[in-house]
Amino acid sequence: MGLDAKSRARFNLERASVLLLDSTPMGLEILVQVLTGFGCKVLHRANDNEEARDIVQRYAVDLAIVDASPTGEGYEFVSWLRRSGIEPNCYTPVLLTAGHTPTHAVGQARDCGADFIMKKPLTPKAVLERVVWIAREGRKFVDCDTYVGPDRRIKNEGVPGGGQGRRRDDLPPDVGEAVMPNMDQDTIDGLLTTRKVKL
Amino acid sequence: MPKRQLGALLRTPGGLPLAEAVERATANLGTLAGACVAEIGQSIDRAEACIARCPPGFDEGFLVDLYGVVSPPIGVASVCGLGAIDVALHSLCDLVDHLRSTGRWDIEAMQVHVQALKLLLHTESAQNAQQTEAVLSGLRQVSQRYAAAAKAGA
Repeated sequence: MGLDAKSRARFNLERASVLLLDSTPMGLEILVQVLTGFGCKVLHRANDNEEARDIVQRYAVDLAIVDASPTGEGYEFVSWLRRSGIEPNCYTPVLLTAGHTPTHAVGQARDCGADFIMKKPLTPKAVLERVVWIAREGRKFVDCDTYVGPDRRIKNEGVPGGGQGRRRDDLPPDVGEAVMPNMDQDTIDGLLTTRKVKL
Repeated sequence: MPKRQLGALLRTPGGLPLAEAVERATANLGTLAGACVAEIGQSIDRAEACIARCPPGFDEGFLVDLYGVVSPPIGVASVCGLGAIDVALHSLCDLVDHLRSTGRWDIEAMQVHVQALKLLLHTESAQNAQQTEAVLSGLRQVSQRYAAAAKAGA
């Protein structure tokens, strides 16, 4: 996932509208300086959940970077956003940041509907890596009684042991007999051909 | 679900090379260095004032207050090259978290963290790297003393 620091690959955040939520002025300023360095021109700053709610009700947001805050307000905001029904913002990628990340906080971050949690201190390289990763990955969006947000299963390791799976696309644990003919070598080679990846 | 726009926006023509973006962001952060040192100094003063009010026995409200003082500034010190302070703040947050979850009380452990923060603010430099590491290692030992009990109770 790491970005090559010498890469000449380009990315463009000029037209992206970004919400920054951090209850501390310095924490907010650090985010502003990092995002401005990345070329972001449209930054919406919020010091608390009320300001952030007001922003997402008035503007379309392409990315939200939200600090969890010691009292957990960040988790509450993300959870509210996911269930708000405000389109397209309720589906906006959310990067959570936190100074202290004990296990229960990571669990809260996962369950509130954030796309990813980053531990502070933040470095520009790490933030950019995560933003690019979030933009690329195509996780499904889950909307059920107990959770709204991107699929929390980042790794596809199949259905948990012994279970049947709850999703339509979950595959059974047993592979079973082949139902189609094997692919020929040319088809396999075609699938493995190296292709240039565009950022 | 509507398609997220972020990926498409990143791919629009123009923009910046990755390396240049990281360079610019790092340079921008450099402009905050002075303000960050001042901010950290104030945060440590607040932590010291909080510790001065430390009750003699377990008090969850006090731990919540202390956590509210020492958790928010994590990440600020690294911007001005004082990364060891972030490590020490993190260790103090761990300690407060463990004390909260186990119901135990250790005034000295909290005090030694705040004293170490003051020391690191005034003495950290390349020449003191070894001493800095020794201080951080000591703090980790103190906060980890309660980690096992907290884990067992979780």
